[in-house]
Amino acid sequence: MTDASPERDAAADGGHEVAHDDHGHDFPGTGSIKRWFVTTNHKDVGILYIVTSLFFLVLGGVLAWLMRIQLFAPRGLGEGILAPVAYNQAVSAHGLLMVFWFLSPFAFGFANYVVPLQLGAKDLAFPRLNALSYWLYLFSGILFGVSFFQGGTFSGGWTMYAPLNVPTFTPDVGASTAVLALVLFVASVTVSSVNFLTTMHRMRAEGLTLRNLPLFSWTILLTAWMMLFAFAALLAALLVLSSDRLLGTTYFAMESPAGALLWTHLFWFFGHPEVYIVFFPALGVMAEVFQTFTGRRIVGRKWFILAMVLVAIQSFAVWMHHMFLTSINLQVKTLFMITTIGISLPFDLMVFALIYTMLKGKIRFTTPFLFVFGALLLFIIGGITGVFLGAVVLDYEFRGTYWVVAHFHYVMVGGVTALVGGLYYWFPKMTGRMYDEFLGKLHFAVYFVGFNLLYFPLFVAWETPRRVFDYAPELAPWHQLATVGGFVLGLSFLIMFYNLFKSAFVGDPAPDNPWEYATTAEWAVSSPPPLENFDGTPTYRNGHLEFLDTGEVAPTEGRSDGPTGAAVSDGGVTASATTAVTADAELPTAEVTEVEGPSHASIWPFVLSAGAFLVLLGLSPLQDAAFPEGMVGAAYATTTVAGGVVTLGSLVAMGLEPFHGPVFEEGEAWPFAGIDNGKVGMWIFLASDVVLFGGFLGAYVFTRVAFGWTGWEPIPSDPIPGLVNTYILLTSSFTVVLALVAAEKKHKWGLVTSLGATFVLGIGFLVNKGLEWQHLFHEGLWLSTNVRASTFFLTTGLHAAHVIAGLVIALYLTARAWRGAYLEDSRSVEYFGLYWHFVDIVWLFLFPLFYIL
Amino acid sequence: MVSTKLYTAIYVVLFVSATVQVLVEFAGLSYWLAFGVIMVLSAAKAVLVAAYFQHLRFEPRSLTYLVGIGLVAALALTLAASYSLL
Ligand code: HEM
Ligand SMILES: [Cu+2]
Repeated sequence: MTDASPERDAAADGGHEVAHDDHGHDFPGTGSIKRWFVTTNHKDVGILYIVTSLFFLVLGGVLAWLMRIQLFAPRGLGEGILAPVAYNQAVSAHGLLMVFWFLSPFAFGFANYVVPLQLGAKDLAFPRLNALSYWLYLFSGILFGVSFFQGGTFSGGWTMYAPLNVPTFTPDVGASTAVLALVLFVASVTVSSVNFLTTMHRMRAEGLTLRNLPLFSWTILLTAWMMLFAFAALLAALLVLSSDRLLGTTYFAMESPAGALLWTHLFWFFGHPEVYIVFFPALGVMAEVFQTFTGRRIVGRKWFILAMVLVAIQSFAVWMHHMFLTSINLQVKTLFMITTIGISLPFDLMVFALIYTMLKGKIRFTTPFLFVFGALLLFIIGGITGVFLGAVVLDYEFRGTYWVVAHFHYVMVGGVTALVGGLYYWFPKMTGRMYDEFLGKLHFAVYFVGFNLLYFPLFVAWETPRRVFDYAPELAPWHQLATVGGFVLGLSFLIMFYNLFKSAFVGDPAPDNPWEYATTAEWAVSSPPPLENFDGTPTYRNGHLEFLDTGEVAPTEGRSDGPTGAAVSDGGVTASATTAVTADAELPTAEVTEVEGPSHASIWPFVLSAGAFLVLLGLSPLQDAAFPEGMVGAAYATTTVAGGVVTLGSLVAMGLEPFHGPVFEEGEAWPFAGIDNGKVGMWIFLASDVVLFGGFLGAYVFTRVAFGWTGWEPIPSDPIPGLVNTYILLTSSFTVVLALVAAEKKHKWGLVTSLGATFVLGIGFLVNKGLEWQHLFHEGLWLSTNVRASTFFLTTGLHAAHVIAGLVIALYLTARAWRGAYLEDSRSVEYFGLYWHFVDIVWLFLFPLFYIL
Repeated sequence: MVSTKLYTAIYVVLFVSATVQVLVEFAGLSYWLAFGVIMVLSAAKAVLVAAYFQHLRFEPRSLTYLVGIGLVAALALTLAASYSLL
């Protein structure tokens, strides 16, 4: 895999004008600011993630301090430092920032840095998309920050329960902005999941079967799978919510049947997997660090992995344990109580495996070990208290109290504890310097005391109602302890920041492997690793890591420090290009032979994300699909348009930019052996899109069931326009098929005509739909008329948005084909077809459900 | 792999079956019978498009399973949520 094709966006065909420009040649060094804006290298991106997430930790932490100050004593309205709405905003923003903008990205910083090394890959499959994930993440966080200044951010809690989440109750523009920020964040997560899954399944070194995959990589693999599906459901929830807030649909309004319940289903279908999404990487760090510092392979490794796989699957079948106090029926509550108890069993197995490993090994109490050991203790407490909550009867008592708050802080911040251990563990690898061990241990001591001082009293004071700053006065001493603990915990990070910051510059130089018994591949290369990770091709053919170098086998130990960063960007080509027997040897395209070696720089991910940021910021003040009157409204509208132009422009620029993905020889690729990276990525993306539409259709079916299925009339009184559109879409699918046939036959005009026909048909579909909507509007139907109309317009509207996106790509492809592209390499046409047919398939279900049944 | 002729035949089948769906609606069947027939027709069409136009039939089975997993997740959400109301 050598050329642009890993950049799966149908736009990025690379064509055959191989522009030999300077990509990779003028890749700036790590000391240059420019480097950090253009880099697509996984290690750079990993560091960006870690640094950014720590920034959000501080932000979320300050909000937490404000809350703890307010809670120092029971307060009435207007007492304390926070006004009631400000308190609600602090609670909500704290939760959202910590869960979304700190915890997962922190973990994915490590994933970015370490996983390709552990796989034996030179980078992720789609390096530009990886940079894109980061920039979308950063800009989503900035957007969230902006929301504070637009009248106030969202104040309805991190779970965003309906109907509090609609403008009737949270009218501030900032509340909409916060929701849109989450939408942008989900975009980042989806891109990232597709990238990681493609990489981890397709780019493992020879001999590195899944069974042999290091445990940290295993947890990231499972996390990415959970993210792919869970965040698609969240995206459905958020898009519906955005539409309720901005366009005026009424899914979650008070008067809609079961609107509040609909939100809880959508949110928790995502939300429970999410708690494992944040916890699994921590588990991976625990396993890795335990193995290294006990000098022992984990006990029952196979079972440990099996347990994790089970948990990952089961995590999608327990969501209603967050809904025991809603009106769902008793049978379903019982069912979900059983699945919840079931899911705690594999966890027991994992905990025991870790404990046994410790008992059988010889422990070295370094800072990373102390942190993960502490994390294990905290997780045990958190897990046990969770089992209480999983019992329906007990939850009737505990729901909405500080018991829940204490439970999930023990598990989640327990996870953070392990990740902090991971930061110390990999710090020498990332910076090439050792941290100060004494300060590390001191950090742990203060952290651990602070943690328990903060969260344990919350169990004791469990009768405190959640999200409220008034409580029974006799609980005050416990809350005061907790507030003190909050400051101890927060301040302990100062020790860490000081230690790591200083050590990054003046710490002792770190050897390749500062930890005896660390066995994973990242420790076999220099600290920090060279730009392209390995000089030769890593292989596990003989059961251990070796590097193949044009035929000869060089043992790991013999390797001296590779050339560092910038030096390789020129020279790295030589070794890798010769061994570049690519997986696509069967596709000898013009550019393969002329490849210069992998690229490492592109500015477009940054620009694209900035554009998306502007679009969403511009849309934030919409209400009932209209901008506010006057200058302000005009300014917002202009922002939207400008953002749109930047977004589209950078998409095209990214498509045209010659960019070469990492060179790799296909090693272990189960279960996607022999399928091109780009195609695998496209299918993984489509699988998440299945869940997105599933969420929308699920919302429709659910609302209709609540309304009374047969009492619900389809909105269009006449199915014929819908039928005509079915014909049009089917025909356009057929022309896409013809386009691919023509491309494979190198039939240029056949290709251009078929693509052009597809484009025209797509326009026809939209025009027909526009006329139909126009007609319905004239009949007095609008998005907000009733929930029936809301579901019709929004679901078919989402589909139309997919059509529009497809048309943009079709137009691009047609123009490129006109100039002779895709005849040598038709993959872009093929991938576009996969997407287009999917959009067609969705319509095949929307049509009967919304027009005839 | 697949000849243009077969593609064309599939296209015709899809076209006709979309028409049949609307005819079924007007055929005066009971609501739930018509519902069943129409959804089965939709599913059949979807399978045809996926199998031939997206050539899943000729790819390693893993891609089909991948989409299947997404489908199962979506159905689990829809069905369990709807059931919880009853
Ligand atoms: C032993 C396994 C676990 C069980 C049986 C369990 C059970 C539960 C239950 C039943 C609730 C709902 C309580 C309520 O709102 O009344 C809950 C809440 C929660 N759990 Fe767990 N849990 C477990 C592990 C975890 C883990 C590993 C995490 C995250 C790392 C976690 C994070 C959360 C969070 C964030 C909430 C609060 C949601 C909210 O804001 O309402 N749990 N847990
Ligand atoms: Cu849960």
